[in-house]
Formats: sequence, C-alpha cells, structure tokens
Amino acid sequence: MNPSNSLGGDINPQQNPYLPLTGPPDNSQAQAQQQPAIPPHLKHQPTRSSNLKRQITDQLLAPIDILEYDRPSKKSKYPGLVSEGMDKRHPSSFQQLEKLGEGTYATVFKGRNRQTGELVALKEIHLDSEEGTPSTAIREISLMKELKHENIVSLHDVIHTENKLMLVFEYMDKDLKKYMDSRNSGGQLDYVTIKSFMHQLLQGIAFCHDNRVLHRDLKPQNLLINNKGQLKLADFGLARAFGIPVNTFSNEVVTLWYRAPDVLLGSRTYNTSIDIWSAGCIMAEMYTGRPLFPGTTNEDQLQKIFRIMGTPSERSWPGISQFPEYKSNFHVYATQDLRMFLPQIDQVGLDLISRMLQLRPEMRIGALEALGHLWFRDLGTLRAQQAQAQAQQQQFGGMGGMPPPGGYGYNSSMV
Amino acid sequence: MAANYWASTQRRHWQFSRESLNEVRQQLEDEEKTIVQQYPLPDRRLLSILFNQLLVKLGKRLNVKQQALATAQIYVRRFYSRVEIRRTNPYLVLATAFYLACKMEECPQHIRSVVAEARNAWPEYIASDVSKLGECEFYLISEMNSQLIVHHPYRTLHEIQDKLKMAQEDISLAWSIINDHYLTDLPLLVAPHVIAVTAIFLAVTLKPTQTGLQAAASTVAGLSSATSGANDSIGTVSGVPNTQQKKVQYLVSWLAEGEIDIKAVVECSQEIISLYDVWEQYNEKTCKEQIARFVKARGLDK
Repeated sequence: MNPSNSLGGDINPQQNPYLPLTGPPDNSQAQAQQQPAIPPHLKHQPTRSSNLKRQITDQLLAPIDILEYDRPSKKSKYPGLVSEGMDKRHPSSFQQLEKLGEGTYATVFKGRNRQTGELVALKEIHLDSEEGTPSTAIREISLMKELKHENIVSLHDVIHTENKLMLVFEYMDKDLKKYMDSRNSGGQLDYVTIKSFMHQLLQGIAFCHDNRVLHRDLKPQNLLINNKGQLKLADFGLARAFGIPVNTFSNEVVTLWYRAPDVLLGSRTYNTSIDIWSAGCIMAEMYTGRPLFPGTTNEDQLQKIFRIMGTPSERSWPGISQFPEYKSNFHVYATQDLRMFLPQIDQVGLDLISRMLQLRPEMRIGALEALGHLWFRDLGTLRAQQAQAQAQQQQFGGMGGMPPPGGYGYNSSMV
Repeated sequence: MAANYWASTQRRHWQFSRESLNEVRQQLEDEEKTIVQQYPLPDRRLLSILFNQLLVKLGKRLNVKQQALATAQIYVRRFYSRVEIRRTNPYLVLATAFYLACKMEECPQHIRSVVAEARNAWPEYIASDVSKLGECEFYLISEMNSQLIVHHPYRTLHEIQDKLKMAQEDISLAWSIINDHYLTDLPLLVAPHVIAVTAIFLAVTLKPTQTGLQAAASTVAGLSSATSGANDSIGTVSGVPNTQQKKVQYLVSWLAEGEIDIKAVVECSQEIISLYDVWEQYNEKTCKEQIARFVKARGLDK
C-alpha cells in the first residue's frame, strides 16, 4: 500500500503554504546530538484534591474581598469532559487587591497568595460565547508556557473555572510608563537606568527572537519594572510564533507610536526587526520622557518618522514603492541628526540607537548584536557604582533618623 | 512553534516512553472499569484512522491547512491520554480540537462555521448550540495545561530536504508519511526531527516498488543491523533496486554523520509500517458503531 493514497497524498509540499518561512535556523538538529532522542517521560503531578478541599474551606471562611468565582464544577453540561485532573488551584487561593488595569480582553488585579503571602498579578479573562476562549488569551498563555526567562514576566498558573480563566503572573511594581511618570523629572531617566533597562529589554527580545517569537507590541506600558530594578516583557497577547509557517501576517498590530515604518507601509512579511524598532523608540523616550514619534494616524505616524529620519526613496530603500501604503507624493524631508532630539545622549549610545532606528528593516541591528554593542561594555561597572552610591546614601539617611548604636561617638570626637 | 523543541512543553510534558504511556492509559481504563468492559473499542490506530478521516473532511470543507489538522490530531491524542474516551463525545472533541488548532496555527475559523460544518457532517452528534463547543474548548485547554504549541516534523523535513538533495516525489511522499504518523502514538513518543528523518528514510526506500512495504521492511532490518557499525551492508539490502541504492546509501551515511538516533528511526519505521498493515483491517462502519454505542447509551451527545 502506498501511503500517499491513504490520505493527504495530494498535498504538494512545493506549493504548500505551510512550509516554514525563512527564520533563524532551527537548532534542533545540532542539539539532537547532545540530547537523548526519546526524552524522559512525563512526570505525573500528584492530585491536589486535599489541597482543593482546604482551599474551598478557605473560601467559606474568607472575607468578602475574595474573587466571586463559580467553583470548578465536576458536573459539567458535558458529562465526561471534566476529569479528576481538573482539580487545579482555585481562584480563592488568591486574595484580590486593587485593580491594576483593564485591557481589551482582560482585567488585571493585584493579588496575594493566601498561603504564601506572595504578591501576584491576576489577569482575569472573560470568555466570549461567540469566540470561546479569546485567541489573544490562548496565544499569550501558550507562549508564556514556553518562554521562561528572567526578562519575561513569568506565568505561575492558569486557573480554569466554569466560565472564566485567570492567569496568575508574578507581581511587578510598575510598568515603564508609570515608572517614568513617577520620577519627578518630566519622565526622563538617568543614564545608568536607561542603559540597564535597555540591556534587559534587549535580552528579553533576544530570547523571544531566538525562540522564534515576535512580540509585536512593545511599548513602555508593556514593560514591567520591579523595585529591584528588573525589567520584564509582558503582554504577549499580540505575540506570534513566527516559526509557524503562514503566508502573511496581519498588519494590524504594534501600537502606532512604536510601530516600524515597514509595518506602517503595509508590509505583511515583517520579522524580528519590528521589535527592534520599538526598542529604539523606547530608548529615545527614556532619554527625553516623551515619545519620539507620537503619531495619530497611520499616515501621520509615517510623517512623524520621516520628518526626523528623512523620507526614504527608491534610491535609499530599493523596493519601497512596492509597499501598499507607499505614496509617491510623500512630503520629502531631509534626514535630521538624531542628536538634536536627544541632547543628553552620548556618542556611543547615539550609534546604537541609530542602528535600531533604521528605516529599512534589513538594516536594523539584531537583538543579540545590539547586546554586544560597545555602549553596554561599562554596564557592569556602572551598576556596581550605582549600588555602592545607593548603599552609602542609605547609610547616610539612616544616620539622620536615629543615632547609630554607640551614639555619636564619631561626631563627638570631632567636637 | 515558539521556542526550541528541547526546552518546549512538548518535550517536557508530552513526550512519553512507551511504558509510561501504557501506564497512563491503563490507569484511565482502570478508573472506568465498568464502561470500558461494557463498550469495547477497536484498536487505537483504527480509531485514529477514523478520527483523521473525520478531521480531513472538516478541513476540506473549511479549506484549512494541513498543519492545523496535524495539531488537532495531537490535541485529540493528548486529551485522550488524560480523559477516558468513553466519557466523551468524540465528535465534539474532534470538532473542538479542530477549532482550537485553527486558532493556534493562525488560520482561525468562526465558531459558527465550525459548528455548522460539524453538524452538517455528523448531525446526530453535534448540537446547534455553539457554546457547547466553547465549553469543550475550555476543557481541552485545561486538560492540556494550556500547553498548546506543537512542534511538527514538517519543519525539519523542509530544512533537510535540500541538504539531502531529495527528489520532488520523495519529498511529497515523506510529507505524506508525516501526515500518516499522526495516526500512531509516535507524536507522543519521539521527537519531531526523528519522525522527519524516518519519513525521509521510508520515502526513499518505499518509492521504488509499488509493493514497497516488504522492501522497506527488509531495508529497515538492514538498517537495524547497520547500526552496529557496518554502514555499507545497507547498500546490499535485497529488494531495493540499484537506482535507489545510491540514495539510500547517501541517506545512511548522512544519518551516521549527523549522529541521529538510528535505533529510534528504525523503531519509528516499524511503527509506521505496522500502521499500514493495520489499515487493511479498517472498517469505518464498525468503528462508528462502536463509538455510537457509548455516546448514545450514555447520552454524551446531548
């Protein structure tokens, strides 16, 4: 029997739209040599029924601020579709605190794990009878399950109840936007913080790209900061795995201000370089406290970009006239010196940001290459100096508050 | 397709050894002894053939790409490693896996059109209420622990077909064999790149004769002995015509160079060849009847 007759024999890989687009090379082959071919089998998680019972008791005793969820029901309208394995952690194991924000498909609350006291972010997803579980949520959850990195916000748990889905994320203090606003400096950040944040941002991006994931929606609101000075990428609702072979990508993604010119021009075959453009815009914004290209419409966004970066032409960007949104009557601007808009930036930093803010996607620096840029070379030294300065400041501040043990011996000897 | 396979949830949570997979399934059956005895089912591979054909039907009606069908089949297999099939309505599970896979593979279908097509194809088993599908989707996601990104062998095939200077007909055949492997337990047992290599290997050895099964089987045996080091013995395997010998030799030396686990490739080949054997016994009507018995008797279609 010839298997091609059994099924699918008519599928011709040559004209097949599902075959991979070009992307970073799959390193599974190389790794295959180091890894056992048949990996160790799945370890079973112990059932958590006793845990669940305790949680339900907790819920009965808990004050009214707990989440008013329906209990995970064993009696589904579909007998048999709920198995014992459904005994997952119950929402009542988290105390719901204040609302942190509201997105298109979810509401985010601050929460506290009742057992450990750990703070978490609870993202509550509403199910839609017309769509089932929203695609954005599915995309975010499934990607977060794969992406574990110190610069990517981590997904602790997914809680299923009868009609809601709750994602439990690690808690982060602020997003970058609020962080900038909270510094009484008109949003500007200091040099060391900018460098440290950029390095972490690029590390998160590099990890995503290495794993064939595009974030597609990088902006200050999606970068979370904790009080240890860590920066993590969040909100992967628009992210996509670009390894999945498809013909085209939807061109309705990145928030306008951070959107790459190729996407604005209507490219549907964009790649990792769109995240780099966003990173460049964010770097500029950390310097000035204001968005670099605050466009209002697609057209206005392009114009704002061209006004600073110069209007591209067929000569500077071969093929540009083929883009769907290209207009031959674009207002022609000359290229400006970026330094005029970023007076605080140093020469090396200017070189890095210029490499990120290249109009042509293929000219933009890659995340890994950017991490190796000269600008980051003194990051370790700078961080150490800053930590030292902070420690000194704390010591100083402590002395102002109350006398150190042993009294003002040092001072008195001065008198 | 996020992430590299080695760090993926697929490898960490959904790759079993044969023993552990049997254990998991045995446990499920033990928990449901009465209904398992009451409603006997055909060989899992025969059921998989039916499921595959039902999915292909939906896929054709809605013009969905092959990779989404592949993902749907993986979801079904994963789901039934957690939930005893006799407690479910397989038709609803299939339609839901299809719906979810389309979302994941970025070729989303409207819930209404999936329900309409499924109802059209299996009117007795699918209710018109779309919320049932949404609800079922929720359970699928939950049972799979939201681990929904699947690595497929198609990518590997695409990447190495040029390195191996494969002929177009061999590529097509390998592609079809990859399609077929979803009817076996292999996706839960071995890494996708091993499947891809197996498919290439079988494509090259199956092709020459239309009664290629035996040839392939003997080549597999030859390859098996070749693993002990005598690579050149493969070229002299009987049943493979001369023109093919070169291709096979080239492939084998490539396999040896790449340090691909040849033993795993041999096992996969045998699994796929035995699938084609089992196929001979396939009878759609019997399969459907056996499913209908427990679905109807237990009111799972309501």
